[in-house]
Amino acid sequence: MAANRSQGSYYTLGLVAFTVLCAGIYEWSGGMGKLLALVGAAGIVLSLFGMMRIKSLEGKVALRSSPFAMKMVGAACSLLGWVITLFGMHLTPSTGGRIALALVGIAVSLFGIIVVLPAAFNKNAIWKT
Amino acid sequence: MKKSIRGSCLFLCFLAIVCATAIVAHAQAPAAAMSMAPSADQELKDAAAKAPAVADLAKGDPGGTSTGTISDVPAADSTKGVTVPDVANQVGQNKIAINFVWTLVTGFLVMFMQAGFAMVESGLTRVKNANHTYMMNFFVYTVGLFSYWLVGFAIQMGASAGNGNLGGLQSLTGEHTWTLFGKTWGYSGGSGMFLAGHTYDVGVMVIFLFEMVFMDTALTIVTGACAERWKFLAFAVSSSVMGALTYPLYGNWAWGGGWLAQLGANNQLGKGYCDFAGSGVVHAVGGITALACALIVGPRIGKFNRDGSSNPIIGHDVSAVLIGCFILAFGWFGFNPGSTLGASAAGNLRIGTIAVNTMLAGCTGTFGALLFMWMKTGKVDYSMSGNGLLAGLVAITAPSGFVSPTNACIIGVVAGVLVVLSCGFIEGVMKVDDPVGAISVHGTNGLWGVLSVGLFADGTSNYGGAWNGVTGNVTGLFYGDASQLAAQLVGISTLIGFVFTFSFLVNLVIEFFVGHRVSIETEVGGLDLPEMGQLGYPEFVFKAEPDYLAHANKEAVAAA
Repeated sequence: MAANRSQGSYYTLGLVAFTVLCAGIYEWSGGMGKLLALVGAAGIVLSLFGMMRIKSLEGKVALRSSPFAMKMVGAACSLLGWVITLFGMHLTPSTGGRIALALVGIAVSLFGIIVVLPAAFNKNAIWKT
Repeated sequence: MKKSIRGSCLFLCFLAIVCATAIVAHAQAPAAAMSMAPSADQELKDAAAKAPAVADLAKGDPGGTSTGTISDVPAADSTKGVTVPDVANQVGQNKIAINFVWTLVTGFLVMFMQAGFAMVESGLTRVKNANHTYMMNFFVYTVGLFSYWLVGFAIQMGASAGNGNLGGLQSLTGEHTWTLFGKTWGYSGGSGMFLAGHTYDVGVMVIFLFEMVFMDTALTIVTGACAERWKFLAFAVSSSVMGALTYPLYGNWAWGGGWLAQLGANNQLGKGYCDFAGSGVVHAVGGITALACALIVGPRIGKFNRDGSSNPIIGHDVSAVLIGCFILAFGWFGFNPGSTLGASAAGNLRIGTIAVNTMLAGCTGTFGALLFMWMKTGKVDYSMSGNGLLAGLVAITAPSGFVSPTNACIIGVVAGVLVVLSCGFIEGVMKVDDPVGAISVHGTNGLWGVLSVGLFADGTSNYGGAWNGVTGNVTGLFYGDASQLAAQLVGISTLIGFVFTFSFLVNLVIEFFVGHRVSIETEVGGLDLPEMGQLGYPEFVFKAEPDYLAHANKEAVAAA
């Protein structure tokens, strides 16, 4: 499926709904704010499900399913590294200790990004067949 | 003994007389100053009397010696003429005007970088996808700007009041905070949505324009890494989210008074996270998001062989690539020197040094990549040379306001070599297909730029006496402050730990609802006709693709 009118319509709906949602947040304390936010959020959901409905029309893509759990592990590793760095700042007052813990955090994040995620995405890569 | 007592008494009397004289003199000083005031007003009146008359000016002023006099200073009360307060107000407004014009003009230069990105990215892709790649770079400007106006600006800069260069920006108040470990940490701004209400303000408009073009630079980085197989709809949705959330969040933490900026005040880590013009905020955020998207979108058909080796997929237009690089280098003179947000006062005369640092790092970045490739392959590679220039510029973006020209050269040459190594690693080891090298240029070197502040900042820059609310100058490890390096490492960890994960999960959701990738049929035939409805170069006769690509296309269709 190439680009088509449905895509354009659902994207326009999403943009308008996002604008309405933002207007609702801006006017949150007023009477109309919450209503606008609700309408906007509903519009975004409608737009996303509309896009999902026409997604299968795209036809075959050069991608195969890859292990979802492994992707989540990669993302979790990446996030864990950040958490280590954040807590490292408060575990020790020494600059050297904070630098060391930040480096550990960066290494854990990089492990998730450089090792785990590519392995997940390349496991069933189409170029391997 | 008596002599001694008398001597002491005399000394005390003398001291008392001196003190009394001083007190009287001090008491009279304001009176004297007050008596000066009418004199100053009188001088202003004399100057007004001597100013060229309208009749004189009507004769023309070819030398420019009669234009711009006291006659041009507006008087609050025309019956009194120009007074000292009038002159002081005019001086204040002139300072702000200079800074407004400086920030706006440099913002216009940064906006023009969109043209450079469009040319570089399209030039490095195949002719059958030229229209699609150009259109992504064109539309990202609109998508990003709209999202940023709706909410992105409020999240990023909605609590950035206190910038004296732009008149205070006092209407931007209201950072949302968390209290953690006994300290208050900012995580999002709160005012400025739609630029409405009290943020309908001249200073706010200037900072909006400047920050918006930076945000758009980050967004356009992703389009390069996902070129030649990214569905236009998915690109549009992904860019909307990035302009509204991903970029503004990190931007707030670093530039909007958020928790990274507070690391100095709260945790005694240097002057807090320092990113002068955006190696981290703009380029690393763009490059890291590009990596997240490129992983999900997957490599182009034919990029990798069954044994994992990769095939070169050559771009269609060298001239577009290299002219695009020059446009980007030109725009960078807005990017870095403009980040002072002013040319007058608060140490802003350092703009000359910042511009020269920018030039030099681009120069040595080009040397680094060009010579490395020349020695490695025996040929001068145009795409790597261009990427070397950009890598040097990306790397100097964060430290440009804090380092010497010599250190700028070192940062640039390291960036030039790093971009070549990083491209090889991302393609050869990670098996991620990045047609233009955006992840390496902006991601890897953005991180290197952030790190280099913690190493090379020499402590000579002083922008109003403090940075991120901490008194003193930004100083790196090599100049005696290891804690600044720690702050920079926290920033790097946030980029690869938080920004990557956030972008990755957001784009996984988009993959679920929208689907990132075009069909095999569209990809093989080129995206221009199916996605855009028109070829980029309709009068060109397309050559058949190389055997390895044609073969891979058939295999992909069969395997899917």
